[in-house]
Amino acid sequence: MLAVTSRPEEKTDWPKFIRKIDFGLIILAVILFAYGTLMVYSASAGGKVPSSFLNRQLVNGAIGLIILAAAAYVNYNSVSSYTVYIYFGNLVLLLAVVILGSTAHGSQRWLSIFGFQFQPSEFAKVLIIISLATFLATRRGNISRPRDLLFAFMHVGVPVIIIAKQPDLGTSLVLVAILMGMLLAGGTRLRYYAAIILLGVLAFVALVHFKVLDDYQLKRLMVFFNPEADPSGASYNLLQSKIAIGSGELTGKGLFSGTQTNLKFIPNKESDFIFSVVGEELGFFGAGFLLTVYFFLILSAIRIAATAKNILGTLIATGITSMWLFQIFVNIGMTIGIMPITGIPLPFLSYGGSSMVTNLAAIGLLLSIYRQRLYS
Amino acid sequence: MKLKDSSKSSRKNNKSESSPKLEIRLAIFGIIAVILFGILLGRLWYLQVLAGEEFDRLSEENRLRAISLNALRGLIYDRNNEVLATNRPSLALSVVPAVVKEKKEVLPRLAKILNTPQKEIEKKLAKKDVDPFQPLVIHEDVEERVVAEVKEHQRDFPGVEIEVIGVRDYPQGPLAAHVLGYVGEISGEELQAKKFKQAMPRDIVGKMGIENSYDDLIRGGRGEKLVEVDAVGRQLRVVKKKDSKPGYNLVLTLDKNIQQATEETLKMAISWARRKGNRGANAGAAVVMNVQNGEVLALASYPAYDPRLFIGGLSNEEWANLNAKEDHPLNNRAIQGLYPPGSTFKVVTGMAALTEGLISPKSGFFCAGKWTALGKRWTKSCWFKAGHGGVGFIQGIVVSCDTVFYEIGLKLHRSGGEKFQKWARYLGLGKPTGIDLPGEAGGRVPDAAWKKEWNKNRSRIEQKWYAGDTVNMAIGQGDMLTTPLQMAAIYATIANGGTYVQPQLLRQVLTPEGRVYREFSPKTRKTEFSTENILALQTGLRGVVTGGTGREAFAGFPVPVAGKTGTSQVRGKDDFAWFIGYAPANNPQYVVAVLVEEGGHGGSVSAPAVRNIFDFIFQASSPASEDVKDASR
Repeated sequence: MLAVTSRPEEKTDWPKFIRKIDFGLIILAVILFAYGTLMVYSASAGGKVPSSFLNRQLVNGAIGLIILAAAAYVNYNSVSSYTVYIYFGNLVLLLAVVILGSTAHGSQRWLSIFGFQFQPSEFAKVLIIISLATFLATRRGNISRPRDLLFAFMHVGVPVIIIAKQPDLGTSLVLVAILMGMLLAGGTRLRYYAAIILLGVLAFVALVHFKVLDDYQLKRLMVFFNPEADPSGASYNLLQSKIAIGSGELTGKGLFSGTQTNLKFIPNKESDFIFSVVGEELGFFGAGFLLTVYFFLILSAIRIAATAKNILGTLIATGITSMWLFQIFVNIGMTIGIMPITGIPLPFLSYGGSSMVTNLAAIGLLLSIYRQRLYS
Repeated sequence: MKLKDSSKSSRKNNKSESSPKLEIRLAIFGIIAVILFGILLGRLWYLQVLAGEEFDRLSEENRLRAISLNALRGLIYDRNNEVLATNRPSLALSVVPAVVKEKKEVLPRLAKILNTPQKEIEKKLAKKDVDPFQPLVIHEDVEERVVAEVKEHQRDFPGVEIEVIGVRDYPQGPLAAHVLGYVGEISGEELQAKKFKQAMPRDIVGKMGIENSYDDLIRGGRGEKLVEVDAVGRQLRVVKKKDSKPGYNLVLTLDKNIQQATEETLKMAISWARRKGNRGANAGAAVVMNVQNGEVLALASYPAYDPRLFIGGLSNEEWANLNAKEDHPLNNRAIQGLYPPGSTFKVVTGMAALTEGLISPKSGFFCAGKWTALGKRWTKSCWFKAGHGGVGFIQGIVVSCDTVFYEIGLKLHRSGGEKFQKWARYLGLGKPTGIDLPGEAGGRVPDAAWKKEWNKNRSRIEQKWYAGDTVNMAIGQGDMLTTPLQMAAIYATIANGGTYVQPQLLRQVLTPEGRVYREFSPKTRKTEFSTENILALQTGLRGVVTGGTGREAFAGFPVPVAGKTGTSQVRGKDDFAWFIGYAPANNPQYVVAVLVEEGGHGGSVSAPAVRNIFDFIFQASSPASEDVKDASR
């Protein structure tokens, strides 16, 4: 079942060829990539000198584009037959990070191969979407046995725990969000679903209570619930981000002209807090435009899920939808003070190769699902 | 392709299952997305549009920091443009408190290279009115080694700055310390005071002396620069700058050389007194003043201190030490020391009686050595036990005969109405002269009301003012208290023919560029003393030097001097030695007053000192001999 996806006679069938490609999605991805790259440039250099951030982000995009093309070309149905390798290969990578990885900001997230540094926990998101979708697809849209749920939880739980150990709480939470989204789409009975949410809340309380979370993770969460508690650390970052976005007002201070950005009041301004830069420099119009693009991206993904040829495609598409929706909401929410500070990148905007490749791969997968709807 | 088929059929199957249909499930995704994006957009609207202005203000506050710029304090010159107080450049190390608080590793590093305990730096930063974003000077005059260390490793010292600041300097050392005063950081109390209403926290202000009395002129005005800073407080560029305004420069009436000679002579007089057996002699004061316009050429107080001690602030301990010293070096005895004037007061007694018409310059008296006019029980004696015999008024001054002044005192008492006190006050006693120095004492002119109040807890008898009190006052003993400067001003009045001149220290105020901003004219008051009476006193005072109690001290001195010795008695202490004289006697220019605490007799200690000061002023090359003796009072 390798990728024999197109038939020879279709080569010259232009209308059909055009129907195979979701140009809307591509346009959205291009806008997001361009917008993000511009913001990374503005955030890192203030427009004054050539930015190494800019160059590297362009390289990230180029690598991502290759992955995108490959993912779009490959029939996602054939990929699912390698799910065992994908899943365990993913676990090996994640474990390798814990054992061999390099440390940044107090956690091990990076693996270095041939001079390239990458973040397996980013790739894990898409890989787990594929493997979980493969499993859930066999339940044929009806998850009504607790055993199935348990398996799904273990499936996602093991990597979640490994990633949380790095520690990378943000990515762990993204995986949980993906699981919840896919369980919803996969046909979980509503009473199970309600029970899961209830258990989740209890588990969170237990985590906090028994101090399973690291100090700095707790501190960030606490700051979110009580911003006055720590004016110099995490809440300082939050306040500076809010000042940046708020001071952008309607039209922004202009590209390269954000004072909060250029004077380094915003922490991690090229990556986690890139939205603060958008808000400060391009104002409500710029930030609102970005939200609009994201909204259409989410709608596109949902539409692809709805028109997918089979439940596997639907599940992959909803997994991706869940991933993006969660990341967008938590990241932007963090910068505007309605979500706790967790290191979750903003899709397509935040600087970072692994994140960019992952999101472009997700676009590729969506394109593949879109194309496959034509073959029954 | 099996999977494809099965999924297709599963979708069909779904429709009959109890779980909601796929379309509904996907619609839930859409609804969630709408809700989440709605929340984000709403929040953005609030932050950027509704609260945007406030956040914009906050971001400006973040970005811009007003840095206060110190003004250079005005210089102080003597009358010949010799610099008495200036500013020297000093490399000062300052820290931005907010930054070092954030970067905890900086302070230990700093303490190490400065060789000071970290606690001490922390104490300075913890002061109440410290602005966390203003660089605060924590160490002046840092060594080159420290400067190099900080500059080379600036990354290790965020929030630490080295700047050149002007630090007050007194190039003449302790010279005229009591006149110049000293400076220090403004205190909370001073900030409230009207005198310092233009001053700001952390300003360096004059605490004493001229530094204090003309602080508003020499302090200058602070400037301000608006700088753009980054998140760690590094200053990136100056957005706006208002330069500080240097203070005005002062030209004093003081003559550095005369001041120096006066200080040295005073010190020498004290050592003479000790050698002559007055072991308690350890302090004194001297004044040199122009009799025509009140310009003070020298004002000395011993012991003195070095005003440079106060630079950079005294520790509490150092301050306590200075104050606890028994000889109170911070006191300016010339204007704050209160002493019974002794026989130097006899000119006031004489002038009061002459002006009241109770005596004339030609009045005659008889001194038998003992005086019993108040009854045998209240016998008083003249310092010359054998008695002066028949003496006229003028001769009474020359030989400082006590009996003559007992008689005059009694006459004044009997005439009633406290006229004696009136004339004493008329000559400036009992209140400060008004010299332009802070903390001047007024002294005391005792009278009936004062005595009643003073002894209010004692018996009625002790509260009453008696003839004996007036008689005591007549020879400058008892409860009369004066400062050396007050007495010098009285002698200036006699010397210049009857005009009271207010002593003053400021001659000119110059702009920083050197233009004259303000010129000070003498403050004078013509007295109602008759020329005849003034002449009588002048004759007497000249006689003191040519043939009286001051003869020995001035023997062979080429410049004619007139003056009066004084030996005042202080209970429980050795006698205080006074001499006040003016010269040249025929054309008076300067009055010189010298007082040595517990110095013994005025004629043998203070008169030679005055001679030496005149010797310097007139370059007479005829210094005093050390062996002068005097037994008068």
